[in-house]
Amino acid sequence: MKPFEYATALTVESARQLAGANGHYLAGGNDLLGRLKDDITEASRLVNIKAIPGLNRIEPGPQTWRIGALVTIAQIEDHPEIRRVFPGLHQAAAEVGSQQIRNVATLGGNLAQHSRCWYYRHRDIQCLKKRGRICYALEGDNRYHALFTGNVCISPVVSNLAIALTALDATAVVWRDGQERRMTMAELYELAWDNPTAHHSLRPGDLLLRVEIPTVRPRSAYLQISDKHSFDWALVSCAAAARIENGRIHNARIALGCVSPVPHQVTAANQFLEGKNLDEATADQVADLLLAGAQPQEHNAYKIPMARALIRRTLLQLRG
Amino acid sequence: MSEWPAQPKVLGTRVPRVDGPAKVTGQARYTSDVQLEGLLIGMILRSKWPAARILRINLDKARKMPGIKAAVAVQDGPRIVRYYGEELAAVAGVSRQACEDALRAIEIEAEPLPFVVREEDARKPDAPRVWEQAPNAPPPRVQETGNVDAAFAECAAVIEGFYTTAVQLHHPMETHGCTVLWNDEGITAWASTQGISSVRDGLAGALRVDQSKVRVITEHMGGGFGSKFGPGVEGILAARLAREAGAPVKLMLSRFEEALAVGNRPSSFQRIKLGAKADGTLHAFEYENYGTAGVGAGQATEGGGGGADLPMPYIYRVPNRRIKQTTVAINAGSARAFRAPGHPVASFGMESAMDDLAVKLGMDPLELRIKNDPSEIRQREYRIGAERFGWKEKYRKPGSSPGPVKVGVGVASATWGGGGSRRTQGEVQINPDGSVEVRLGVQDIGTGTRTVAAVVAAEVLGLKPEQITVKFGDTRFPPGPGSGGSVTSPSVAPTVFDACTRALEQLQKQTGVPDARGENWRAACKKLGVTPLVVQGQWREGLSSSGVGGVQFAEVAVDTETGLVTVKKIVVVQDCGLVVDPLTAESQVNGGVIMGIGFALYEERVMDWQTGVVLNPNYETYKLPGLADVPEIDIVLLNMPERGVIGLGEPVHIPTAAAIANAVANALGVRVPSLPITPRKVLAALGKIPAPKSSAA
Ligand SMILES: Cc1cc2nc3c(=O)[nH]c(=O)nc-3n(C[C@H](O)[C@H](O)[C@H](O)COP(=O)(O)OP(=O)(O)OC[C@H]3O[C@@H](n4cnc5c(N)ncnc54)[C@H](O)[C@@H]3O)c2cc1C
Ligand code: SF4
Repeated sequence: MKPFEYATALTVESARQLAGANGHYLAGGNDLLGRLKDDITEASRLVNIKAIPGLNRIEPGPQTWRIGALVTIAQIEDHPEIRRVFPGLHQAAAEVGSQQIRNVATLGGNLAQHSRCWYYRHRDIQCLKKRGRICYALEGDNRYHALFTGNVCISPVVSNLAIALTALDATAVVWRDGQERRMTMAELYELAWDNPTAHHSLRPGDLLLRVEIPTVRPRSAYLQISDKHSFDWALVSCAAAARIENGRIHNARIALGCVSPVPHQVTAANQFLEGKNLDEATADQVADLLLAGAQPQEHNAYKIPMARALIRRTLLQLRG
Repeated sequence: MSEWPAQPKVLGTRVPRVDGPAKVTGQARYTSDVQLEGLLIGMILRSKWPAARILRINLDKARKMPGIKAAVAVQDGPRIVRYYGEELAAVAGVSRQACEDALRAIEIEAEPLPFVVREEDARKPDAPRVWEQAPNAPPPRVQETGNVDAAFAECAAVIEGFYTTAVQLHHPMETHGCTVLWNDEGITAWASTQGISSVRDGLAGALRVDQSKVRVITEHMGGGFGSKFGPGVEGILAARLAREAGAPVKLMLSRFEEALAVGNRPSSFQRIKLGAKADGTLHAFEYENYGTAGVGAGQATEGGGGGADLPMPYIYRVPNRRIKQTTVAINAGSARAFRAPGHPVASFGMESAMDDLAVKLGMDPLELRIKNDPSEIRQREYRIGAERFGWKEKYRKPGSSPGPVKVGVGVASATWGGGGSRRTQGEVQINPDGSVEVRLGVQDIGTGTRTVAAVVAAEVLGLKPEQITVKFGDTRFPPGPGSGGSVTSPSVAPTVFDACTRALEQLQKQTGVPDARGENWRAACKKLGVTPLVVQGQWREGLSSSGVGGVQFAEVAVDTETGLVTVKKIVVVQDCGLVVDPLTAESQVNGGVIMGIGFALYEERVMDWQTGVVLNPNYETYKLPGLADVPEIDIVLLNMPERGVIGLGEPVHIPTAAAIANAVANALGVRVPSLPITPRKVLAALGKIPAPKSSAA
């Protein structure tokens, strides 16, 4: 770890100022401190944002819920109303890491975490994402990598919460250039689709303030498959959210995680679901639409049948 | 005939660990807890090259860094390093940060060399050589008995399979390392080790100090599983740094370093052809295996047993057999002994082939074993286990369980020695106040050996285990063996029995109390006056033996849509002679089974062929079983006091992975022939994975 300065911000504006050009916001530190210790990230200054008031609140509302960026994953998991109103978000939170990690990890940090690609995370490998020359995963061991990408890097987005929030069509509210900027979840990640060095669309200095979740989809679900039964990253994850009336599904959104640098959504799949009866045949057609054009690598084609199973199970869970 | 009391009072009762309270309250002192005046931190610089000629190492700048008190090179002059992570140099300083900065300041001139880290690549004729003077894969050693080719023609059923296992890392909770004090009296090393005596001798030899000037202490230890017998490069470096700095040095490896340079279990690539007569009698066996022990086959490991050869055809007798085995060198850290070296791997290969053969013969796999297993003990264990497990009710034809989540059952077996070391010595001190101290120069590596000693002493002296203070882990005590080969309990128990029996006799003689045990104890001890009684003892015959068998049954559920395997139940039937303390024995069984689950389903060191690094040097991607992965473990210990004490730490680990693999095959109706059995491999075995992009090599 290289030496750095440490500062605590008390307001959003001061956080932005303190961060300067090469400062890093420090929330729970699960991701950032690990990267600093492994010499993956160098920071001239850490700006502790945990003392900024107002960012750690869960605020219910009839149309929209607001969840502050400093809310911990354990708080999301344990919130009884979230469990009822956004069961998919609850499930996604409950599957993150271990209890110890969830106690400390924040929503903002979970969304803004860096790639977990084991080449990227290796202290002595300079891959494309670390501004090296090549992507090692392409010809190397890519069992955990993506089926889709818009660039060369095949490191997938692994944030559980990002997938659930995508299905729920949440809005991320970001402090940029002295004002609040609203981004869809797709916008929050789209840069990682095109740019191999990006993990998301946040620019240096951008501060996530909160997410806002509309309540129009009372049914939601999140499922993942890992190698182990707990405390393990998803190999594939799937989230879906919708309103169900008279057995028919409306306003549905479905997203896959760990298969693309961005939460993987296909508009045609969401549209196809409109007004359908939720059954296995429908689910299989949605899977076809979601997985069309998948480009498996040498070691990750298993994600295709796994995703199919998850898509079916997640959609059927929406029936309640 | 065993000399153990026929009607024991303490032996065989469930005695909680005597050091349990100290451990759960954090008072137990492990190596990294040792605090000394002026203690420095030591850290190692490791090769970033998987292979390179090191021309020059310049420590000058590092030595001048703030807070740095010593810097040493592993070796002077040019040398070749053969894997990523091989030790080059080390520094000692006042903080981790100071050391990290100093490591960065070390200048190394090196010429990178070609390297190879995958077994299949290393076997190619044009592969880079790991050792310049020898090919990576020497010609196989061949053992042949009977007439194999003719015998296969006589078989009613023949199967062929290719079964593979991955390199497994020891990853003890406590990493390797030690804290070394070097002053006028000599060296004192607090080492995380399974062998205090071998560490003492290793340090004395490497540093050219009399063995009498080296003291090694291991009060508590967080696991080694075979990888912690010698001082290791890290221990020698710690001592050299302490000498140069003139101050004590603590050098504990990081989790990252644990994955590189301190041992592993070799991989295996086992091609098996197995044939039987129509009644199931095994008749012909042909075997070819290679595996990698990294850069070496155990030569640099002090642990021995690190080679990749397997005891085949394991527990079965096949009259006609041809066995060819070789190792493959790759540019990766060397193997070391690992909980029952060779056996879990052999068991997986052989027991998989047995089940595949049973399918071909249309036989119940349990029947096939009963037909062919020569061990009387295991014959008993098959029957007991089958009953307990409900084999008859649970066993179905492979793949016949309905629905997408299929259940299956499997069985596998083990053999092991586990006898004691005849050279074990010990002493007991009886104090005038009645307190008792038992001292042995062995170490409790977390297995509960201290408790075993307390139970035996309490039994002989008619006391309670908590009245006995057991002192282990100091080379100043009478010497005992290293903790490997499951020898520790059968070494310690007879020795403590002997020392206590003699001590009791002498106490009675000296004090004139005819029976000093139990309620007479305090009064008798008081008569000692002011001088405690110290009596030596040694291992003696008739209190232990060796040779155990074990059988395990597994029940699994496999999700055929996602590939996820869930172990639902393991039944263990194991003999270990006299069960000294069922609690510590069962704890060993639980640990062995859980480790077997890891070997079966999760654990695999992943090497990158492009860069030569270990890609998963952490607990996040080197996957170990967690509580949610652990099923009900039902344990039946065959208590056979007449055989005396026998070790059981290793045998209980052996058959778990094979039993699980067989249960998965039974559930699916197809075999996943490769450990670990991950969802990816299950889906592949089921033919559910579309063909990959063709460009990939
Ligand atoms: C062993 C392990 C297992 C894990 N398993 C999972 C898992 O299964 N699923 C999963 O989803 N995650 C998993 N995680 C990731 C974990 O959830 C994230 O590391 C954690 O959520 C990050 O949150 P934090 O508050 O600790 O962030 P920090 O480490 O403090 O920050 C992470 C990054 O986000 C930036 N940041 C933080 N807050 C803000 C903000 N408000 N605005 C802008 N930028 C910000 C930081 O600058 C930094 O770059 C795992 C992590 C570990 C170590
Ligand atoms: S997938 Fe991305 S992060 Fe991983 S090696 Fe390739 S470029 Fe680097």
